[in-house]
Amino acid sequence: MVDFARVQKELQECNRDVEVSGIKVSPKADKLTHLIGTIPGPLGTPYEGGTFEIDIQLPDGYPFEPPRMQFSTKVWHPNISSQSGAICLDILKDQWSPALTLKTALLSVQALLSAPQPDDPQDAVVAQQYLREYQTFVSTARYWTEAFAKTSSLGVEEKVQKLVEMGFPEALVRSTLEVVGGDENLALEKLCTV
Amino acid sequence: MISDSIANAPVPAAAPNPKDFAKKKRTNRSAKLKQCKLDARREQWLSQVKNKGSKDESNGFRDSSMHERDGSDRSLENLEMRQRGEENDGSIHHDSDLESPSNSPTSNASSVLGGNHSGTNYTGSSSSSSSSVGCCSGCITEEEEDDGCLDDWEAVADALAADDKQQNPSSDSSPDHEPVARSDSLPELTNRVDSVVQVSKPECAVMVPRAQVNGQAWRPDDAFRPQSLPNLSKQYSFPMNSDRHYGRGAVSWAHKSVISAPSSCPICYEDLDITDSSFLPCLCGFRLCLFCHKRILEDDGRCPGCRKPYDLEPVEGEASLNGGSLTFRLARSCSMITRS
Repeated sequence: MVDFARVQKELQECNRDVEVSGIKVSPKADKLTHLIGTIPGPLGTPYEGGTFEIDIQLPDGYPFEPPRMQFSTKVWHPNISSQSGAICLDILKDQWSPALTLKTALLSVQALLSAPQPDDPQDAVVAQQYLREYQTFVSTARYWTEAFAKTSSLGVEEKVQKLVEMGFPEALVRSTLEVVGGDENLALEKLCTV
Repeated sequence: MISDSIANAPVPAAAPNPKDFAKKKRTNRSAKLKQCKLDARREQWLSQVKNKGSKDESNGFRDSSMHERDGSDRSLENLEMRQRGEENDGSIHHDSDLESPSNSPTSNASSVLGGNHSGTNYTGSSSSSSSSVGCCSGCITEEEEDDGCLDDWEAVADALAADDKQQNPSSDSSPDHEPVARSDSLPELTNRVDSVVQVSKPECAVMVPRAQVNGQAWRPDDAFRPQSLPNLSKQYSFPMNSDRHYGRGAVSWAHKSVISAPSSCPICYEDLDITDSSFLPCLCGFRLCLFCHKRILEDDGRCPGCRKPYDLEPVEGEASLNGGSLTFRLARSCSMITRS
C-alpha cells in the first residue's frame, strides 16, 4: 500500500519551491500512484531550454521501493532510452533509499542529464554516438530538445496546428489533446496508436 | 572549668583558617593598628612591670588576646565590612575596659547587640564577645590592672602574631585554667554562665556567618577571590546546554544528530514520539520511526541514511531472532534433561 500521506506531503513540499528548483510534481489522474514530474533541462547542456516530463508510477511498496520513472518527453541521452524513455539510474533501482523523495529523485535525473554516463548506457546507440561522435551527439540531443521538450510552451492552437499539419484530423487532434491534458507528445503517441 | 574548656574549645578549631587570612591582610590591619600601637606598647610595658609577679595573668591576657586576634581575623573574613568590624571590636574593648568585669555581661550583651546591628559583623563581634569572656575569666582577680591590660590587647595581639607557633600551645596550657579556678566569686559565676551562653552563642554565630560567607559567592572582580575557584557561570552554562541537547548523555555524534533531530520521521512523515526520537538504529545518526525501521528490516534491512545494513547493531530484528533461537535451544535442552 502506497503511503499516501507521505506522497501528499511530498507533493506539497515539492510544489512549494517550484520557482527555485523548477521541479514540479503533479498527479496525473485522481490516483496518487500515477504522477507527472517536470524538470527543466540543465543550463549549459544540449537540453537547455527544454522542459522534460517524467512519468512516475508509485509501486505499492513506496517509499520502501523506488518509484518507477521514465521520460514521457523524448530525450537523446546515453542513459535514457530514446524509444521508451526508460532511465538508467542507480537510485531508481538498487540504490534507492526510503529517505529519498520524488523531488530528490527528479533532481538526480536532472543531474543525469548534465552528466551522461556512456559506460553504463541505457541506449547503446546514443552511447556509441556520445563516445565516437560527440558533436553529432550534441547536435542530435539539441535537436530532440527543440523538437520534443519545447513543445509544451506552445499554445493549444499551435499544437493543434502542428498535429493537423502532420495529417491528423483537427477534431481528433483536439479531443486527443484534451484527453492527454494538452501534452503534444502524448497526443501524438495516442494519435499514432489509434 | 567546663565553661573555660568550652571557651577555649573553639579557639584551636577556628584558629587555622583565620590565621591564613591574618597573614594576607596583615598589611591592611597593621596600617590601622599602627596608630594605637605606640601608646599601647607604652602602657603594656608599664602594666607588665606592674604585673611581673602574676604569670597566669599574662597568660590570661594571652588567651584573651588570642581570642581577640581570632575575632578580628574572623572579622577580616568579611571583606566588605572589615573596617566596621574592627571599629566594632574596638568599641567593645572600650566597653570592657571602662566597666568592671562584673559588668562584662553587659559588654557581652553590647557585643551581641553590635553583632545584631550589622548582620555581616557577626563574626567579629561575636568573637570579640568570646574574647571578653576569656579576659573576664582571666582578669577578675585583679580588677585594677584589667583596664591597662585590656588596652594592650592589640599590642599583644601583634606580638603574638609575630610568633604564632609559640603561642598556640601556651594558650592551651594549664595556666589558662588557673585564673578560672581561682575566681569563684558570684559575679564570676554569673559571668561564667553568661560566658557559656555567650560561647554557645558565638559558636552558632560563628557558624552561621561562616555559612553565609561561604554561601556568598566571591564576586568575580574580587581581588581576594582564590584563583583555584572555578568560574561558576562558565561551569553552569556548559552542563546546562549539554543536558538540554544530550537528553540521555550520548556521544558526540549522537549529540549532533540530536540537535538536528527531525520532528517527524523522514520516511513516513509522521511525527516522532519520545520513543522514536530516542531511537538511534544506525551509527550514521539517521533517525526514523520504529514502524519504518521494522518495515525496512523486513525488506532489505539497510539504513536509509547511509545504505549500510542494519545488522551491525543488535536492535529489534536480531533480538527477536536471538530470542527465537534461544527458546529453541532451551526447549531442546529441557527435553534432554527430561530424557536423562
